[in-house]
Amino acid sequence: MKKLIRILCFFASVILGFGQSSCIREDISGNSPEDNFEALWKIIDEQYCFLEYKNEEYGLDWDEVHERYSQRITPSMTSKELFEVLSDMLNELRDGHVNLSSAYEISQYRAWFDSYPRNFSDSIQSNYLKKDYINSSGLTYQILENNIGYIYCSSFSNGIGDGNLDQTLKNLETCDGLIIDVRNNGGGNLTTAQKLASRFTNEKVLVGYISHKTGPGHDEFSSPHPIYLEPSEGVRWQKKVTVLTNRRAFSATNDFVNSMKQLPSVTIVGDKTGGGSGLPFSSEIPNGWSVRFSASPMFDPDMNQIESGIDPDEKVDMTSEDIERGKDTIIETACNILKN
Amino acid sequence: MKIALTICLMLPAIVPCLHAQEDSLQTTRYVVHATTFGAGRANIFETYLSPLEYTGQSIRIMHERIKMTRLMDGHVSAQNIFQINASHTKNPAKSATTYAGLLNWSYTLHYQWQLNNKLKILFGPMLELNGGVVYNERNSNNPAQAKAYGGFGASGMLIYKFNIRNCPFILRYQANLPLLNLMFSPEYGESYYEIFTLKNKGNHVLFTSLHNAPSLRQMLTLDFPIRKSIIRIGYVCDIQQAKVNNLKSHAYSHDFMIGFVKNFYLLKGKRKISIPITNSPF
Repeated sequence: MKKLIRILCFFASVILGFGQSSCIREDISGNSPEDNFEALWKIIDEQYCFLEYKNEEYGLDWDEVHERYSQRITPSMTSKELFEVLSDMLNELRDGHVNLSSAYEISQYRAWFDSYPRNFSDSIQSNYLKKDYINSSGLTYQILENNIGYIYCSSFSNGIGDGNLDQTLKNLETCDGLIIDVRNNGGGNLTTAQKLASRFTNEKVLVGYISHKTGPGHDEFSSPHPIYLEPSEGVRWQKKVTVLTNRRAFSATNDFVNSMKQLPSVTIVGDKTGGGSGLPFSSEIPNGWSVRFSASPMFDPDMNQIESGIDPDEKVDMTSEDIERGKDTIIETACNILKN
Repeated sequence: MKIALTICLMLPAIVPCLHAQEDSLQTTRYVVHATTFGAGRANIFETYLSPLEYTGQSIRIMHERIKMTRLMDGHVSAQNIFQINASHTKNPAKSATTYAGLLNWSYTLHYQWQLNNKLKILFGPMLELNGGVVYNERNSNNPAQAKAYGGFGASGMLIYKFNIRNCPFILRYQANLPLLNLMFSPEYGESYYEIFTLKNKGNHVLFTSLHNAPSLRQMLTLDFPIRKSIIRIGYVCDIQQAKVNNLKSHAYSHDFMIGFVKNFYLLKGKRKISIPITNSPF
């Protein structure tokens, strides 16, 4: 029995030593306002993918942000006051993909669309859709009076069925051209956006690149991986297309516009898109608030950043005269392009 | 039916016979099957999903099979373990939930070193495979982390047999230490969209050992008979850790187990008969 105890003691000491010296655990501890501030700052510092790009764009210095905002953190501040300071800090990133979510509020950077013309009115849009429009798998479509097909896609969050797309394009096949309106489409699934874009090419096309962080350093990125748009095996549109954009075309819609822009039969009409090219990841801070942030940057085929938006081929704003007449300047311009 | 009846009738005659004979040819036919169920606590940490540790409940099902082999003059036993561990854990603020599940299969060959008629030390090489997932219900494009790793390691076991009032008990401690493994991991900020949809070929299969994945599975079991059954109670301490591609992870679980042990003597083909606790590869 003594021998057994001696052997057990030996094993126990080896295991305890193993455990103490080899634990892989979190670096975060505590739940004070300062702890939460530091945790959030560190998540962005190590995982946010546009710190270098935004430093070049508008001089964002994340260390300076730490210095400035840490002065607003006090041990006695309330939860709501902490939320306000942390939200303000995140808004320094000027990124619609960055949100802090608490039980009572979600922070959001809105200047990416609030500072620009709306360039979309659903009441004016209804003048074009009339009352006999068709809804199919999230797409709303109509043949306009000038024999131009019009499809409005309000979101890429829900999947679009292949059969629905086949039927929609068949119903519009007698049209002289097609308008795809993605204004106010805030994004959704990249695969859904690519599925729609694949109906407008007959060959495999390089539409951009994606990269991701390989470590916590601001400049630690993988080699850019090419993204190709493959032609759909279903019904494909062979005539001219215009894509209508405004600043609220964001995230996966930005990706859709980027893909469509690479196709020779497509013209982008309207305002610059809202951007949001960073694939968002989620994390959290000790008090349980979750944070969403851009983790993987996407580029156009020339390796230009599209985080700040994509310029249209034809820049058009809705004019007040047209709005008064119930006309959509952007739709009218698109029709003229398709008719000529 | 006739065969089963014959075996049942012969059993009282065979068992004393087994008890008496201990040559290597006979011992290769001794098999232990044990199935245990357990519950306990888990601590899950995946920096791909969150920088925080999640804690909560854990459940485990384990099936173990040990059989003597003819290797090294019949001093080597082969152990097969298949286990499933699942956990439901919360972050410190209880505002988010993580579900984790891991399947583990291990095959170990133990050289049995008999110190005396009560104590044995077993040690030998181990082959193991693991697969599972950790899922965080509120994350966006990084909702889950796949777990897939396996390779070679070392295993050690202590078996102590004793009697209390003529009732036989078997106490066993086992530790399995992975040494040379291959592990799947996405890169630091890489999404599964890149890996599976865009077919990105990154640094996804990594060599791991004690320096970057110091893991250890330990178990302590006690087998004892109650009437005609052999009961096993035990404790499993499962420490799985890794630090690869700048991502840190751990899954700690402590489970208390209970189940049944069956000792068999293999006859021709797949036929087998139950034997008492005193006759086993233990």
